[in-house]
Amino acid sequence: MKLAIQPRSIAFRLIVAVLAVELVSSILVVVLSFGYERHIHFRAFDVMLHGRADSILGAVQDAEDPGDNVMLDKADLHIPPDDVYEVYDEAGHLLGRSDNWQGAGPGVPTHSLGDFSQIRVSGHHYRILRIQGSRTIDPGEHGGGKLRKVTIVYGSPTFHAWHAVRGAVEFYAAGSIILLIVTGPLIAWLLHRGLLPLRQLASLASQVSVDAWQFTPPASAYSTPELAPLTHAIESVLQRLEQSFIQQRAFVSDAAHELKTAVAVIKSSLQLLTMKRRSAQEYQAGLERCLADSLRLEAIVADMLTLARAESSAPVDGPQSTANLPACIDQVVVQLETVAAHRNVQVNTTVSNSIEAFEVALAPEACTLLLSNLLLNAIQHSLPASAVEIILILETEENAPTAVVQIQDHGDGIPLEALSHVFDRFYRGDPSRARTTGGTGLGLAISKAIVTKAGGSISIASQPDPALPDQGTAVIVRLPISR
Amino acid sequence: MRVLLVEDEVRLADNLATALRDGPGFAVDWAEDGLAGDDCAGNLCYDLIVLDLMLPKLDGLSLLKRIRARRDATPVLILTAKEGADSIIQLLNAGADDYLAKPFDLGELIARAKALIRRGKGAAHPTLTVLGLTVNTLEQTVVRNGVFVDLSPTEYRVLEYLIHRPRVIVSKRELLEHLYDYNWEHHSNVIEVHVSNLRKKLDAVLPEPDPIIETMRGRGYRLAPGLRMDADQSSERDVSSVPIPEPGQ
Repeated sequence: MKLAIQPRSIAFRLIVAVLAVELVSSILVVVLSFGYERHIHFRAFDVMLHGRADSILGAVQDAEDPGDNVMLDKADLHIPPDDVYEVYDEAGHLLGRSDNWQGAGPGVPTHSLGDFSQIRVSGHHYRILRIQGSRTIDPGEHGGGKLRKVTIVYGSPTFHAWHAVRGAVEFYAAGSIILLIVTGPLIAWLLHRGLLPLRQLASLASQVSVDAWQFTPPASAYSTPELAPLTHAIESVLQRLEQSFIQQRAFVSDAAHELKTAVAVIKSSLQLLTMKRRSAQEYQAGLERCLADSLRLEAIVADMLTLARAESSAPVDGPQSTANLPACIDQVVVQLETVAAHRNVQVNTTVSNSIEAFEVALAPEACTLLLSNLLLNAIQHSLPASAVEIILILETEENAPTAVVQIQDHGDGIPLEALSHVFDRFYRGDPSRARTTGGTGLGLAISKAIVTKAGGSISIASQPDPALPDQGTAVIVRLPISR
Repeated sequence: MRVLLVEDEVRLADNLATALRDGPGFAVDWAEDGLAGDDCAGNLCYDLIVLDLMLPKLDGLSLLKRIRARRDATPVLILTAKEGADSIIQLLNAGADDYLAKPFDLGELIARAKALIRRGKGAAHPTLTVLGLTVNTLEQTVVRNGVFVDLSPTEYRVLEYLIHRPRVIVSKRELLEHLYDYNWEHHSNVIEVHVSNLRKKLDAVLPEPDPIIETMRGRGYRLAPGLRMDADQSSERDVSSVPIPEPGQ
């Protein structure tokens, strides 16, 4: 694109375009006016030539001689001093001629009658008219008198007509130039005014920053058809950006709180050791506690990285990565066998609809992480000697086959007020329980991020009332099946 | 002195409680969430509340507002991991007395805790002197008429509490509440034994007994009953002249 080489403002381009169009049209006006004026003036000129030639004819008189000849009587002739004329009789004899002319020369009379021609007389262009007239001598006599024919050649200099034409054209040209000169700044001013909404919009948009998301576009931006789509686009982009910034900020704040607390634990543990002299056993126990605290810090950092990776928009291992869901379930159950046995919890897997292998749109690692997070949660929140059920169902409705995994525990459940927060980052339904299980508060947030990325959904239902037989928590994951 | 620690992170709470018990010898009660903290603070038996901001059930700021709403003037030290002046301003305006940002220094925490307790009782300097009896709360030493008095930790804590409130009758119940945490079996005769020993040790350094701790039968104890507001004394100590501040809101 040429514009990319030397970018100009829209206003500049519009002004140049308008002025160019104006220039072209003024040239056209000048050319047309020249043609028109020339036509008008020369028609009038020709009429005048005819009139003057006729007045010459009027000056042709009876010579009162025996031959009944005619003569030119110059006494009554009143013609402009620049004009030239000559009069011939039938025989080609010169009857009279203007004083300022030597005649058209022998060539001229041979011209056909009524024609105009151009000649030069004493350095000026003359337009010459030849007409034939007749004069009746002694009309009262026998036979109605004699008819004498005369040829009149009349010329007038053209520079008067040309002068008039040039004057008119000059007028039009000067008018156009003045118009160009006046309209240039006028257009610039009008454009400046016309682009005001755009500049307002730009200045408002430029005030938006990470700290100030307030963007209230002026009313003119909405009412201007050209600006409305841009305004709406800016608005929605800003809203989405603000949302994601708020989320990021909340995450950073939460993460900072968690990390600072973890660091505070380690720091205070170490300072406690140095507060007074202690025995070797006390130092050893203190160092072991510090090591355990460090491991927890490490786990938080690892989980935060996993969450960041799961929430990033880029696909984990390419878009085609799929996982065999039943196989993943088996794998996770085997992985967590010892944990379940340690807590005296039984894990039952039910695969209905005689499902064999099928793939869900998830990286195998992500699928395993998701299932192990959920199963570990269920095992840790189960009452001793109870069972965790994993149920896999295939839904084939509306051409969108979905795998539904339900993980049900029979634990103490989640209170209703906490249920809506369990997918929040760093949320712990019950801090004392989180302490005993050592969770970082990120497991369910990671699970949700994984499921959302795969285009699925995750929901949780809980019955915390120990009086009811179905007490416990059920996590239901729906994942679209990829073919 | 008795401190309420409201902190949900169990390891941090452990460390803080140990540090406050081992260092300045405070009795420490620990509440693991905002509601438990509110229940404890409702007993009005604390000389300081150390409060974490991010708490389950009831967050630290709301708890602080509840404490101040019932006109409880107990000094509150906030532990916060939040950044930014806004949240600190909000906290101080809500009635917090001081704050520490995590991760903090244990020594600083203890120093601030002591300063807040001192200020809460109207004393500006860590050394308190009443009628020739000087208690240095930093070194935890007691000097009477220029002679060093050797006290047991409990005797020292009884004296430290009493010297913060000279001429005021302090009941046995109040002494118990402020010297022991709630895990302690409350036997009031334990206090009687300690006060009796304390009085003996304080008199032993003098040629003639001059009981500085008066026993008000059935009502409690009073330190320095004969104290008069002399000019030279009030310059050294400004304890009794300053009333315990009323809650700000």
